[in-house]
Amino acid sequence: MSGEDFDALDRGDNDGQKSDKMFTLKKWNAVAMWSWDVECDTCAICRVQVMDACLRCQGESKKDSYGKQDCVVVWGECNHSFHFCCMSLWVKQNNRCPLCQQEWSIQRMGK
Amino acid sequence: MSLKPRNVDFTETWTHLKETVAGVVGLRAVERSVWNTRFSDVYALCVAHPEPLADRLYDETKSFLEEHVAGLLARVRGSSSLENNDHNDGLLTRYVTAWREYSQGVAYLNSLYSYLNLQHVKRQKVSDAEIIYGSAATVSCPENDARQLEVGELGLEIWERVLVRPLSTALTGRIVSALCSARDSTPDPALATTLKEAIHSTVQVRAFRVRAPLQLYQQLVLEPYLAAAGAAHARMAAALLAAGDVAHYTRLALQQLEREVSLGARFLDASSAEQVRACYERAAVAAHLPALHATVDKLMRDAATDERDGQERRDDLRRMYVLLRPLGGAALRPLVDAAHAQATADGHALLAQPHNKDEAHTHFVNAMLTLHGKYSKLFADVFGGAQAFIGALDKACSAVVNFRGPTDSCARAPELLARYCDCLLRKRGGGGGGSGETDVDEKLSAAIVVFKYVDDKDVFQKYYARALARRLIHQLSASMEQEEAMINRLKAACGYEFTNKLHRMFTDVAVSADLNAKFQQHLRDTNASTTPGFSIQVLQAGAWPLGGAMAPLAPPQQLERPARLFEAFYRASFSGRRLAWLHHLCTGELRTRYTPRVCHLSATTPQCALLLSFETVDQWSARDLRDALQLGGDAWWRHLRPLLDAALLLAEGDVGAGDGGGEPAPDATLALNLAFSCKRTKLRLTCANAPSHQGAATAGAGAGANAGAGADSGESATHCDDDRKMYLQAAIVRIMKQRKVLRHTELIQEVVSQARGSFAPSVAMIKKCIEALIDKQYLERAPAALDTYSYLA
Repeated sequence: MSGEDFDALDRGDNDGQKSDKMFTLKKWNAVAMWSWDVECDTCAICRVQVMDACLRCQGESKKDSYGKQDCVVVWGECNHSFHFCCMSLWVKQNNRCPLCQQEWSIQRMGK
Repeated sequence: MSLKPRNVDFTETWTHLKETVAGVVGLRAVERSVWNTRFSDVYALCVAHPEPLADRLYDETKSFLEEHVAGLLARVRGSSSLENNDHNDGLLTRYVTAWREYSQGVAYLNSLYSYLNLQHVKRQKVSDAEIIYGSAATVSCPENDARQLEVGELGLEIWERVLVRPLSTALTGRIVSALCSARDSTPDPALATTLKEAIHSTVQVRAFRVRAPLQLYQQLVLEPYLAAAGAAHARMAAALLAAGDVAHYTRLALQQLEREVSLGARFLDASSAEQVRACYERAAVAAHLPALHATVDKLMRDAATDERDGQERRDDLRRMYVLLRPLGGAALRPLVDAAHAQATADGHALLAQPHNKDEAHTHFVNAMLTLHGKYSKLFADVFGGAQAFIGALDKACSAVVNFRGPTDSCARAPELLARYCDCLLRKRGGGGGGSGETDVDEKLSAAIVVFKYVDDKDVFQKYYARALARRLIHQLSASMEQEEAMINRLKAACGYEFTNKLHRMFTDVAVSADLNAKFQQHLRDTNASTTPGFSIQVLQAGAWPLGGAMAPLAPPQQLERPARLFEAFYRASFSGRRLAWLHHLCTGELRTRYTPRVCHLSATTPQCALLLSFETVDQWSARDLRDALQLGGDAWWRHLRPLLDAALLLAEGDVGAGDGGGEPAPDATLALNLAFSCKRTKLRLTCANAPSHQGAATAGAGAGANAGAGADSGESATHCDDDRKMYLQAAIVRIMKQRKVLRHTELIQEVVSQARGSFAPSVAMIKKCIEALIDKQYLERAPAALDTYSYLA
């Protein structure tokens, strides 16, 4: 964002609400942090934090491709969450949630 | 003439043949027709009927040659006394003349007897296989070997037996004395040729033998010569050392070595070059090792100086190295040790040079690079970059880099190096020094050289990650390409795991830029009003070293709106993600409208929020304002104070001063200073005295760096210790899971080698970790042996 942009926007601002304002907010560089919306931040299958790639992916040293994390989180209907990689291996043997033994069906996937 | 076997009268034929043989061996002219007839005679005798006469022919020839050589012996001996060793008495010359004639003659004779050789002798010869695998026949002593030889070989064998043996002492004495005088002064060409031929005759005489072809040469020439040469070398070296200093010795000793080698090459058999050299080294160098080693330390010290003298000492050292190298590791050890000691001492001296405390990081890295550069060059120059010396330099650098004074709790190298990188990667304020991009690239690559010597790489990583976070969040990086290049350099040095988080931080910033563009597009598409100057960075949790709880904040409406819009947009773009605002890292820029001169204020979000609260009211009760913004704890005072200091706000009563999160008095008020004026048009408000728990991203920056640094490094040390314990425990479990049962020392070794990539663990810490794992029942002490652990599945 260059200075000219702000001045232009600023002038637009001026037109709308006259100078009864004490301050104008010219610029705001916000910082936020995202994390998976999970109840437990550790994947119960590989015991790695869900924010990190699962053990298997770490072992393969997969680089996060631009913007898309390869190792995403998956939520079941039971609201338990795991690494998608871990879970897809798990269901090949046992189609139940490892934590509550309910039939596993995907509620949503992290993106 | 028929080839058919027939009756032959041996005596008659042999009489003729013998005459011709005598002619051939004596190198007298033999007519072609006579030669041809005699050639047929040999054939006839070999195939004679009824009894082939080959064996008899062979025996007769043998005794003839023996007789002939005995004659030659008398000729060669002449009147010389065999006891003295005067190589100029003519014996050598006579010997060589006789040898030339005889060896030539025997070669011809061999052709004359070629039928006998081919048909009769060849059959009896030992095959190569028999020689290699040693049949019974070849094991037997060659002297008693009754097998027949080819006639040429027979001739040589007789020469050795009949002529050389009786003369051996005389020959040896003369050859050795001639060689010795040839070392001191160039012999005249005739003598040189004679000497050379005499020596080579001892090789040629046995050249046809498969076993020990050089035996005669070794006995007759090489061994006596080496014994004599060794004594001479030892005398020479002792004289050199007595006469002058080491410089004098090394120079002349090397010259002598060269002369000796060329002497050997000129006169001796090519196979002896190695022995001649070794003999010299043993006698002239190895025997004086203690004397040489005693001078090494001083030489090394002097060689490291830049003065004119240094060049000469370097030459001395180079020669010394050339002399010592062939003697192996033990002889070089003191040299290597001296190199190590000198580099270490020099390194400490460089680091101890007076310097500006604010420039400690630059001083440190530059000193290390100077040290490394200087000694790399010196060792390459003097020691040809030999592995042992590179190793010594590495050890020295590592010792200097990780040096810890008695008062330091940990080495400062990781912190200083990280700061050095930070300074290079940061945007430089206004034209700064004009160091170009390539220059910075070079400096960063050089920093990696120092980095490789740092033991506590994990500590470095922590410092580096913080500095990187700071640069990325506050957009202080000079260039993103350089940032990425540096991360890749670290990755090349330390591997994926080391830079994983750095990479993720870097990726987050790139993704955020994309996200901003998409967000603005989204706002345009939905015709929502634009949010001027809003930009956002969305960081992933876990990758950023942003410790501490996020201070809550209820932002005013001006900030709230873009935030809500973005949250909605983000939720629509991704799923399953939670977003948390890191207000203490956000920065805003405000423009004052109430002052005579417009002033731009850049401040943290809580500060913006504070100011924006005075949009509609001129005065707030401090307590109400604090509650309205939900600025709890020490955050309140930390953000408020710079506003008061800059006189933007005016306080009345106790508004909650003190870093401990003091409570504002109920009647305390804050008012907007309407008379605010500022000389500059831009004003940057900071909250410099951030406490360590929250200030991870800001501590160590700017002016307040030194005050905060002490607490900062103390805190990071304990933090680091915990990380290391986890790392070690994980390593121990991995190793034990694989090995099941392992002895204590082996386990320690394995753990140390695994951890070396990121830090140098202390044995005490490993022991503690083992104890902890035993408590947690991952391991147990094996019941039978005291120092053995076993893994509990």
